[in-house]
Amino acid sequence: MLKIKNLTKNFGGVKAVKSCDFDIKENTITALIGPNGSGKSTIFNLISGVLVPDSGKIIFDGVDISCFSPENISNVGISRLFQKSQLFDNLTVRENLLLSLDNEDTKFWKNIFGRNKINKKKEDLVSEMLTSIEMNYFASRLGRELSFGQKRLVEIARTILNPHKFLILDEPVAGVNPKLRRKISDILIDLKKKGETILIVEHDMNFIFKLADDVIVLDEGAVIARGSPEKIKESKKVLEAYLGN
Amino acid sequence: MSLSIILQLLVNGLVAGAIYSLVSSGFSLIYSVNKFVHFAHGAVIAFSAYVLYYLFSTLGISFWFAVVLSLIFSALLGYATNELIYKQLRKRKSSPVILLVSGLGFLIFLESLILIFFGADVKVINLIKVTKGLEFMGAIITPLQIVIILVSIALLIFLFIFMKKFKLGKAMRAVSDNKEVAEIVGISSEKIYSWSFIIGSAIAGIAAVLIGLEQNLEPTMGTNLMIKGMTASIIGGIGSVPGAILGSFLLGILENFGIWFLPSGYKDAIVFTLLFIFLLFRPQGLLGIKRRAEK
Amino acid sequence: MEAYFIHLIILIGIYLILAMSLQLSIGYTGLMNFGHIAFYSIGAYVSALFTLNDIPFVVAFISAGIIAGLFGLLLSIPTNKLKGDYLALATIAFTFVVYVVSLNWVSLTRGPLGLPGIPKPSILGLSFSSNIMFLILVAIVAIVVYFFIRRIIDSPFGKVLEATRDNELATRVLGKNTFKIKSVSLVISAFLAGIAGSLYAHYITYIDPSSFSMMQIAPILCMVIIGGLASLKGTIIATIILVLLPEPLRFIGFSSSIVGPMRQIIYALILLVILLYKPKGFFGKVELE
Repeated sequence: MLKIKNLTKNFGGVKAVKSCDFDIKENTITALIGPNGSGKSTIFNLISGVLVPDSGKIIFDGVDISCFSPENISNVGISRLFQKSQLFDNLTVRENLLLSLDNEDTKFWKNIFGRNKINKKKEDLVSEMLTSIEMNYFASRLGRELSFGQKRLVEIARTILNPHKFLILDEPVAGVNPKLRRKISDILIDLKKKGETILIVEHDMNFIFKLADDVIVLDEGAVIARGSPEKIKESKKVLEAYLGN
Repeated sequence: MSLSIILQLLVNGLVAGAIYSLVSSGFSLIYSVNKFVHFAHGAVIAFSAYVLYYLFSTLGISFWFAVVLSLIFSALLGYATNELIYKQLRKRKSSPVILLVSGLGFLIFLESLILIFFGADVKVINLIKVTKGLEFMGAIITPLQIVIILVSIALLIFLFIFMKKFKLGKAMRAVSDNKEVAEIVGISSEKIYSWSFIIGSAIAGIAAVLIGLEQNLEPTMGTNLMIKGMTASIIGGIGSVPGAILGSFLLGILENFGIWFLPSGYKDAIVFTLLFIFLLFRPQGLLGIKRRAEK
Repeated sequence: MEAYFIHLIILIGIYLILAMSLQLSIGYTGLMNFGHIAFYSIGAYVSALFTLNDIPFVVAFISAGIIAGLFGLLLSIPTNKLKGDYLALATIAFTFVVYVVSLNWVSLTRGPLGLPGIPKPSILGLSFSSNIMFLILVAIVAIVVYFFIRRIIDSPFGKVLEATRDNELATRVLGKNTFKIKSVSLVISAFLAGIAGSLYAHYITYIDPSSFSMMQIAPILCMVIIGGLASLKGTIIATIILVLLPEPLRFIGFSSSIVGPMRQIIYALILLVILLYKPKGFFGKVELE
């Protein structure tokens, strides 16, 4: 589904991503791990169109999306969760979720003439999601009134509601309390059962091993290992990368 | 276009550039240290020019004494602006936009005061009676204009030495580069902010004197100078004092060569076009200062 | 006395249109658009020039809005990537340039002499030359504008505007073209400022560049900020209060050349005080960012 070919990105002399190559197959959950500074966030930024590669290609479903803008990336079917909270602080939880459903809201005249109503179908989708993340009570709270964990939940929900074929999640459970961590894990396992294709960056190894079919290990901008969670756990190379030779 | 015309345009450009450098160097100094746009800078210049006019032309105080007084005044006005407005806003962690708008508000306040006390008509400081310009290869330049260019060069040199050798100058660079680290080594950033306003506004005072002599005084001169000074700063790289000076001379020359093709009233429109081009294509300016102008 | 009140309400009406349209742009979309006066000016000049050349008022009025809106579109292109204070600078510079052009393009605008004798509006033969009639005209336009903006804000498009204000990247990552969204907001804001300009021109019947100097943004900014960013209700209340506030100055006996700057001083001071002590305004959601 997603092919990264020879991807390179420099920041003023620092090679954040070095001739990186990997493929993601459909219906898999892949974890992207690696020590800090190994290029994970940069790759995510490159995939989601926030950054443009210096060289190399990103191919999604046969289309070269290397230079696509963030909105085009979303519209070809890639939905991204950021590491840092990107919730709309001054909109309610419900409004945050409604925004992700489709892009009819960007059609000015359609909205003015009332042809884009928030119909029952949309309300139901959002309500369903709110129920599944147990945030019904908070539906009308503004983004900035939520706790960190609650914000994370809503953002994950928003990312999922955004019509997609491929999810990329940047540290979905970082800094989140254990109860919430289990909850989010359940949500993702649920998605896995539905056959979704997901790429996750995470540091919590247990979380990954429960969830991922496949693990890619990055170090200094390039792939140094790849395999099932068990294999990676045993890999000496990976251990060295984390501990520093 | 004959050589003498080219030379004349060049001379005019250099004079204009020198004037702009007096405006923009103070502005950039303040920006580089404080990291926001001090929009009222132009009004500090305007107000100081009017103070000079009042002291010299209205009260009849001797010229040099009036100059010293108005320089002190401009430094104090800059200091007060920071003390009363910016410092308080910073305490509330106000965004750069709020700081800019407050500067704009203060500029409007000062310009309105000028209108009330001095009226809208143009004022002239009559120090030098009509002087004959000196001729140089077909181009004419007045002694005052030569003084302006010399002063701006002297200022350039002074600022360079100041930032490199003087303790205060080095402290300013430290705060400008990395405020947190500077504070760790014991530099009080609040004190440095105050000093940047004092010095930047004193430079504004010098600008006020020279501009006041060279051009006529009018209440909106502050806004005009501010737009041009800011454009020069952005062209050179906002937050870089050498950049401001470079940008100023470039602006002055481009402006004057530009009016060869356009009616002279559109000189100001050239400024805007340049501002836009730079904001669009090279917001970090020619000397490429780090600050991200883009989202 | 009655004529004085009518005059005040007309002014309130015009300022309401200006303030509400600026609120759409700054408060709801997060665009630091300080070029509002430029669009006001463009609208005024277009409407004046059209009617002075025998083009019917209605056409002139709409054209004022459309042409101002077009400039809004033009301005939105280069400013798309600019952040908060840089955007503020660019739009301030735009106001300055429109001012300079109106001062110098003498063959079109008569420069500092201005355009006198702008005809009072006449729609389908109905003349609006009396102040009462003009008041009705302004009131109708202001009310329509209010409902128009209200509609935008309450619709899903309004939510997208606010999302763009809160976090442009996140909005893009959800698939929305924020450049288009911001442009639409700026164009509408400019259009409305343009028609406000037209109303102003036909009310005062004389315009010159100084009516549209940089200083004129002060009262409008006050109205937008004091009322509260992203609060239409707050904007309306603030506008009414702020238009009326400096009026007592007239009665103190200052000469007319002083009253103008004194009004600006009041607005400038209010702006400073609000930014210092209540930057969200009274009913606002957010601060200027």
